[in-house]
Amino acid sequence: MVAAGATPVVLGIAGIVFIFTALTYAEGTAMFPEAGGSASFARHAFNDLVGFVAGWALMFSYIVTISISAYTIPSYLGLFWEPLKTSPLAHTAVALGIVLLLMIVNVVGIRESSQVNVALAILDIATQVFIIVLALAILFQSGIFWHRVTEYWPSTANLVFGIAIAAIAFTGVETVSQMAEEARRPQVRAPRAYILIIVVVLLIFGGISVSAFSAMTPPELASEWATDPMAGVAHNVSAAIVPDELAAKLFSNPVQFFLASWFLEVVRAALPLLVAILAATILFIATNAGLLGISRLAFSLGRANLVPGVLKRVHPRSKTPYVSIIVFTLVAMLLQVPGFFRPDLFENLGGLYAFGSMLSFALAHLSILALRWRMPRAERPFKLAGNVKFRGVELPLTAVIGLLGTVAIWIVVVIMQEYSRWVGFGWMALGLGMYFLFRWHRQLSPARAVKWSDILKAG
Amino acid sequence: MRLHRGETIIVDEQYMKLERVLVAVNGKDSDVETVKLACDLAKKFKAKVYVVYVIEVKRSLPLDATIESEIEKAEKALSRAEEIAAEHDYEVETDLVQAREVGPAIVDEAMERDVDLIVMGFGYKKRFGIFNLGRVIPYVLEEAPCRVLLYRENIS
Repeated sequence: MVAAGATPVVLGIAGIVFIFTALTYAEGTAMFPEAGGSASFARHAFNDLVGFVAGWALMFSYIVTISISAYTIPSYLGLFWEPLKTSPLAHTAVALGIVLLLMIVNVVGIRESSQVNVALAILDIATQVFIIVLALAILFQSGIFWHRVTEYWPSTANLVFGIAIAAIAFTGVETVSQMAEEARRPQVRAPRAYILIIVVVLLIFGGISVSAFSAMTPPELASEWATDPMAGVAHNVSAAIVPDELAAKLFSNPVQFFLASWFLEVVRAALPLLVAILAATILFIATNAGLLGISRLAFSLGRANLVPGVLKRVHPRSKTPYVSIIVFTLVAMLLQVPGFFRPDLFENLGGLYAFGSMLSFALAHLSILALRWRMPRAERPFKLAGNVKFRGVELPLTAVIGLLGTVAIWIVVVIMQEYSRWVGFGWMALGLGMYFLFRWHRQLSPARAVKWSDILKAG
Repeated sequence: MRLHRGETIIVDEQYMKLERVLVAVNGKDSDVETVKLACDLAKKFKAKVYVVYVIEVKRSLPLDATIESEIEKAEKALSRAEEIAAEHDYEVETDLVQAREVGPAIVDEAMERDVDLIVMGFGYKKRFGIFNLGRVIPYVLEEAPCRVLLYRENIS
């Protein structure tokens, strides 16, 4: 929609920023394997105030993740009932319903199966790889691909904004950090998880963007398939499969030809259905993951006296943090409400996510640099390589470039996206107001610093 | 073999050699008999008895979240276990664990402490008219690296 022909390029550039951010998180999470992510890094590196800013920005990106993930589900289910894709009323109502359902599920505390989640994730990756292979085999022609890239190259402003929006492809960086405390040997496993994310996400997204451009033009992708691009790719790949022709190219043996032709017929019929069901399921899980992330983060911030204690209140029967779940889910639903009137809600939500996530990622990079500066001899189970020496202190280049990149993207979003600017700054102003009032009420200094001795005591 | 009240089982010492026993308590009435049983078995071999209470933390909370009501319940159950053990002239070591799921936590504790026996109790429950062991016991029975002894409460 925004990056048009430059979509593969912006995903690549955003991917580089993502790699640097993931590496920063790897060092930070290995040092502090606790729920809190960039808020935790900032609190330890600077003080409670900076920790709050990072945490509040992160909460914003979690809330937007909930909104945007749920908002795209009806588009994929539109394969089964068209109004879900074409009618803003039906689309937004269902999206709101999904968030409300997950709110109830999480307040009640219904157990989710991690095995089911893992199985679905593997199936989803396998399906995407399958689509990429099919698209490259059947549709890809380098001449057409490059033509579509150059013919629909965006303006510089849209190119830069596209990099900001592309950041939403790399959610999960914070989630790994939040989950690290539960891993055995998080100092080893968290960095490994980040490296695996980098490889898988870059390969998949690179492959998908090339497949998408092989399957359709950027205007087609941006109009009809804006909110369900994978469905668009699957639809076009499926339409391009001519079973007998393809089978004849591959096999001369009649039995092999018959089996191949039958298999391709099944693939042609099943692929759009499979993608629709899988995408909707994975997005449902992603929405739930956003909800779990924000409730955990709110609890961690409450525990560190960065947000009012009511947000860490646990229900006596269900043992869930029902207040934070309800409050932040309602905010996520509020963000979706304009979908009844605005067809460009998806783009706006993308801008909002970039506002929150880039701010929190920038603070994560800054915190890692500050920790290197202030505590050069602290134990670092995973220490970033590629360091430059500045006044005798080793500073990781990846964090420096990551900081510059995330700050640049954040500034672009603030300048270019009016909606994100007002909603984002409004959210931060609301948060800071609440923070100062809360800290004053509790007679705590707003900028109290965490002592290194406290960190050592906590083990 | 039918047992009558007051009758005891003669245990084959070679087979049932014990050095460490893990008792999983949950604050229910069955804890009394499971702790007594574990102490009786351990006494013969002067085995160490660990009593563990697992607090299950929902995924919407960080794993180290402090849930006061649950901690209170756990401490009550563990104190009671210590009292029961003291009445049987035995000492137990108690521990409170927080985990996402009780079954895997019990198995993990058993592996970390390298125990020879896990003792667990449960009530008589039916779900939709069918006797039900719940989630924890089948998991422990399947995954435990050692012997498992179950105590089921009386139906009444």
